[in-house]
Amino acid sequence: MNPIHAYQVKKAAAEKKIIIGGPLIIVGVLLMIALGASSDIWVGLGIALSAAGGIVIAIGFGGYQSTIKAFKKEYLINVIGEWIEEGVYHPDRGFHPSAVYACEFLPVADRFHSEDYVEGKIEGVPFQMCDVKLEERRVRHTKNGTQTYYVAYFVGQYYVLDFNKDFDGAVQVLETDRPRSKRPFKKVQLESVAFNKTFKTFATSEHTAFYLLTPQMMSRMMDLEKAHPGNLGFAFIDNKMYLAMHNNHSILEVRMFRKLDENMINEFKEDFRLLDDLVKELKLNQKIYKEI
Amino acid sequence: MDNPLVIILLVVFGLVLIIALWYIATMNNLRQLEVKVSEADSGIDVALTKRFDALSKLVNTTKGYAKHEASIFENVTKWRKGLPDSLTIEQKQEFLGRMNEVQSGINVAVENYPDLKADKVFINLQNSINEVEAHLQAARRLYNSNVSTLNQRIVTFPVSFVANQIKMTKKAFFEAEAAKRQDVDVSF
Repeated sequence: MNPIHAYQVKKAAAEKKIIIGGPLIIVGVLLMIALGASSDIWVGLGIALSAAGGIVIAIGFGGYQSTIKAFKKEYLINVIGEWIEEGVYHPDRGFHPSAVYACEFLPVADRFHSEDYVEGKIEGVPFQMCDVKLEERRVRHTKNGTQTYYVAYFVGQYYVLDFNKDFDGAVQVLETDRPRSKRPFKKVQLESVAFNKTFKTFATSEHTAFYLLTPQMMSRMMDLEKAHPGNLGFAFIDNKMYLAMHNNHSILEVRMFRKLDENMINEFKEDFRLLDDLVKELKLNQKIYKEI
Repeated sequence: MDNPLVIILLVVFGLVLIIALWYIATMNNLRQLEVKVSEADSGIDVALTKRFDALSKLVNTTKGYAKHEASIFENVTKWRKGLPDSLTIEQKQEFLGRMNEVQSGINVAVENYPDLKADKVFINLQNSINEVEAHLQAARRLYNSNVSTLNQRIVTFPVSFVANQIKMTKKAFFEAEAAKRQDVDVSF
């Protein structure tokens, strides 16, 4: 039996419970509204049905969660290990906040969440990546009191890759953000008008910006931006390249009510295409400037 | 204040003041751009010197294999020693061109010596030349970018008027050979 199919069977069973539980709650509520005035029995029956529906949904949801967890821990870990050289996947682990803020352009979040950590090598270039969600706390004052809620300002992937050039200072190439750093960043205008329109470049030294962002590199970054819609931010600091991609998308996300099959696995594989593009397009695998 | 003459004088004075302030601001801006061009020019000097030093080491290492290139380089050395402190952009271009000539000659000469190509010292020297070359290209692009900004400013009216007054003229670009516009990757 296909191992994915076994998970699909368990997932479908859990989803079925959720599907059954929903109508039970609705019927229970409708009974209370429609017939509750005529007799207390209907109210009691309505409450019982709603409660039963709630319990069935909770059981279904619990089963769904444990199936997904098992799928990731038992199956996906091995598959990713096969896809990626020295690939390691930790579904429950994420980046430490300091690793994310090391890019020096993402604002410090009031609520930080990171999961689905993957590390390995692409063409010999070490990388780390994971899903990151950054949220800002907001307070709303109403007649009924004060409400606190959170608004996500970054949902997407965060990548850290070894960079193949030695350089002084720091450079950031951002679509919408700005540096959040104590470094003396200055805005740099590169010679490509199209690049300057798409990205804003900040650097501690103009020379370093021109050194890292060769015409070829700029062109490839533009290509990446076109191929992977979302809000991109690159940072080059301490021989590392950081990429934050705000695309409101999670990698390795198993969706409810969607068949868990080879197609979904292929989509997961496709999520790693960006890494391939990053390494190959930006030629991070060519260590032509480093000592052998 | 009802006297029309006073009003006219005030308007004229205001206009003259605005023009004077604009003139000073424009002049300062042009001077700042000129300083940026000079700074970028110094960056080219630094990179050219590093390029020359790296090439000297390479020539010494390959002297036995590329005699002709070593003699050309000797001439470049003499030429360099005889140069004044401040070189024009054209002279720097010529200097770089001759270094590239020597480099290309060495590249061709070592083709016949696989042992040399595999030598660690030689490989490290090549890597360091690649890196220096990349810095030189960055310095050249930064310089040209600054020159382009300055040149565009001083040919545009009314800034051109200020540029003429302070005798500021268009700066020369540092041209690179077509091959050097590509990513630096000296291969053997």
